[in-house]
Amino acid sequence: MSYADVKCRRAGPEMCAAVDAPPVPSRRQLFKTVAGLTAFWGATEAVLAAPPADVSADIDPGSLVSKLVRRITMGATQAELALATSMGYGPYLEYQLNAAAIDDTVFDQALAARNLTTLSLTQQQLYTQVQGLIVNELTEATIFRAVQSKRQLLERMVEFWSDHFNIEILKNPCVFLKTFDDKNAIRPNALGTFPALLSASAHSPAMLTYLDNQESTALAPNENYAREIMELHTLGVDGGYTQTDVYEVARCFSGWGQSRAGATQGEFFFTASRHDNGAKTVFAGTPYQLNIAPGGGINDGTQVINALANHPNTARYIARKLSAWLVREDPSQALVDAVAATYTATGGDIKAMIRTALQPNVLADAPPKYKRPFHLYVSALRALPSTITATATFRSQLDAAGHRTFFWISPDGYPDTLLYWSGLILPRWNFGASLLNNNLNGLVVDYTSFLSGLTTAQQIVDKIDQAMFGGEMSAGDKDRIRTYLLPDPPSITRQRDAIGLAIGSPSFQWY
Amino acid sequence: MIREGQPQATGCDEYNRLSRRQFMGVAGGAALAAAAAPAWLPRVSYAKDFRSGQRDIVISIYLRGAADGLSICTPFTDANYYAARPGLSLAQPDSGLDNRLLAFAAGGTVNNAPSVGGTTSFGLNPALAPLMPAYDDGNLLFIQGCGSTDPSRSHFDAQRFMEVGKPADPTISTGWLGRHLLSVAPREPDSLLRAVGISTALPRTLVGGPLTLPIPNLDTFGLSGNGATTAARSVAIGDMYGPVEDPIHAAAINTLATIDLLNTINFSGYVPAGGAVYPTTGIGTALKSSAALMKAVPDKGIEAIAIDVQGWDTHNNQGLAPGGTMYTLLSQLATAIAAFHTDMFTGVAPTFTLIVMSEFGRRLTQNGSLGTDHGHGNAMMVMGNCVHGGRVLTNAWPTLAVGKLYQGIDLDVTIDFRDILAEIAQVRLGNNNLAYLFPDFTPTFRGVTNC
Repeated sequence: MSYADVKCRRAGPEMCAAVDAPPVPSRRQLFKTVAGLTAFWGATEAVLAAPPADVSADIDPGSLVSKLVRRITMGATQAELALATSMGYGPYLEYQLNAAAIDDTVFDQALAARNLTTLSLTQQQLYTQVQGLIVNELTEATIFRAVQSKRQLLERMVEFWSDHFNIEILKNPCVFLKTFDDKNAIRPNALGTFPALLSASAHSPAMLTYLDNQESTALAPNENYAREIMELHTLGVDGGYTQTDVYEVARCFSGWGQSRAGATQGEFFFTASRHDNGAKTVFAGTPYQLNIAPGGGINDGTQVINALANHPNTARYIARKLSAWLVREDPSQALVDAVAATYTATGGDIKAMIRTALQPNVLADAPPKYKRPFHLYVSALRALPSTITATATFRSQLDAAGHRTFFWISPDGYPDTLLYWSGLILPRWNFGASLLNNNLNGLVVDYTSFLSGLTTAQQIVDKIDQAMFGGEMSAGDKDRIRTYLLPDPPSITRQRDAIGLAIGSPSFQWY
Repeated sequence: MIREGQPQATGCDEYNRLSRRQFMGVAGGAALAAAAAPAWLPRVSYAKDFRSGQRDIVISIYLRGAADGLSICTPFTDANYYAARPGLSLAQPDSGLDNRLLAFAAGGTVNNAPSVGGTTSFGLNPALAPLMPAYDDGNLLFIQGCGSTDPSRSHFDAQRFMEVGKPADPTISTGWLGRHLLSVAPREPDSLLRAVGISTALPRTLVGGPLTLPIPNLDTFGLSGNGATTAARSVAIGDMYGPVEDPIHAAAINTLATIDLLNTINFSGYVPAGGAVYPTTGIGTALKSSAALMKAVPDKGIEAIAIDVQGWDTHNNQGLAPGGTMYTLLSQLATAIAAFHTDMFTGVAPTFTLIVMSEFGRRLTQNGSLGTDHGHGNAMMVMGNCVHGGRVLTNAWPTLAVGKLYQGIDLDVTIDFRDILAEIAQVRLGNNNLAYLFPDFTPTFRGVTNC
């Protein structure tokens, strides 16, 4: 076993590229010490001055800024790597954080041209639509945005919060409501503040229906939402609440639901007659005890939301989960504390927490993360010259991998752990193989243009390495795909297979 | 380490015994069967060498979301049940009402002495009617008042604690069944696939097991793409994944081997024995393909199968009437397990133990939306060749009296779920390392097995 392979085994595929690469001086050298990182962090403004140059020439394989691109996008492309390299670490992160300022007109027009009619209907109109159409169009929009929008960090955070505030779209009648949850609760707040996001979710009829609060009454409160808003949305399972608190919070939220008919059907509605107007005590006997006077009406629930948003255990819980999403599955306590401190200092500002989590010295030490199937498929389509004209096959490929968007049944959302996703590997291989064999109707890779002018196995794998891996493909994978292509000149079948194999290769599964 | 082919329980020369139902099929006469077949029915000739003396294959079915055990095996003689669930109860078996419970056959009903006074009788949810033959044959056991003593009412904690085999220990990540496989020799020395989860991700129960994969559909597990280059691509994939680290390395290499293995089994052409008809539901398909895998000749060496059934978190409109949520779930579960019972107890088949469990029971008192919130004690089901079935097993049945409820609201746990699993692991799976499977716990065997 070569040194490279040993290193690959130890450090993951990300390390593999650097091992055999020639020792060219690069910005990478800067990141060998924390001092260098700090120097770089301070120097980002100067780097920004450099204009975007020739695409492939300005990518710096192995650099920290390339790692940042992989970490905060749905998949690195040559263009995105070049952009980030020219801007520098800090400015590129700011660029993606300020998603609203990114000119995404081209994509917006492309999405509009898809004519996904249910996206722009009123809530009441949605109730008249065929359920399958609503599900398919919302999923299709999510796929399109992930692949083509320039607001890549926004899409990554929408994915994160859509799991955090998971709603199974097929639970009746969530199918009619999830479109608005996506549009009004998740997306506008994904890079906003956590308290605002929490409040939007708590006022989302899709959530209130999914977790049965819609049916809760004063006489017999339904505990489902009350439990999960604490266990999953804010405090965490060990966040210091009791069964009594679940009951008391359920009483506070009784009456929160949706309008059941008429022009406002499906919109948030507080039914006062269903509300328990007695006095409540939440977190009794703790420093966070919340005494709610009788007759508070809808304000009881609002007080609970505020108390949860301000609870230090919420700061810690969100900090840990966000750090796990952005940095590593097992974030250090120091990192969690730092992000939690940012939460507390900024009133739960999500952008500020992301900045803290993605300090360059933190990311420099982070091991690669394993892509979930959605991320894997999207990253393949982003890296290749692809066109999407329909997404039914994309959805069925997600099904095969157990990652159909909005289909996770329980309120904890799809997991984000290597252990969970590591077992079923076959769909990862089959996606690339099917895609390049033209078996996925509606998903087309223009391999002719991609491979244009390339006549040898070496040239083809170099192209694959540059386009799909930003020059960081593992040496082992690259060499094996090169030999797969031999003898020169490779047949077109082998060329297509090679791209499919690259999608299924070990190095492409990580980011 | 357990040696292959050496069952640990004593007197287990009935490993290939036929059930009463099998006996009827083989001997072709109900009259003969009615003559009360002894427990040690002689082997028929073609069964003589068929995996004789081997351990059971275990099938673990997990009902995700906390199935309401009080609606599965219902203590209908307890007035507290009806008082707490005025809109969500099943009527007494002799009530003549449409929603009446099924009475267990005479001699099958167990009157359970509660801790204080009186007796309790149980009835079966009518949606589970297809399971009655398995119960009457003595192959199916219900356990009530069972579960984890951990107080958590979190689905995710409770599932995890049960599946890893130790409550309240977040440091354990492997499942009890995964560790079982780690601590016994393979049932077949050359096995390429010792365990499978019929799902898109490995259930926690099996995590850590060697040669263990999640496979959502056994019938279609293969490489897609250009058929002319499948073999070459398979080799290339194997080469690329050779040097990477576990768990990806193991998953990849096992996957390639398993594709070849499953290709040798004709799943779509599988004909169940005894005229069994599996429903075309998720659980039906999973059990049908499990049976095909278990019966494959030559023996593929499968030892454990885990199946998840989702959707039991019935906070709202629990639905015990036909068409209702829980009725439908129970009906699908029962028809699938009943078909599996017929299939595996007709003719020659490997012995098995099938376990049905859920993370906790549900609140005794219904909520305001004709549903139930998270509770504590629950029911379990166990079926198999050597299960002492035809009974409802309880221990110091706590009753549903207010003073006997856990935290004043839920059915209590008087049988630790590990008592059940540990007995099965030792007696039927040949594993004596119970402290490894269930750390810091001394199980009490409850008589789940009878051979």
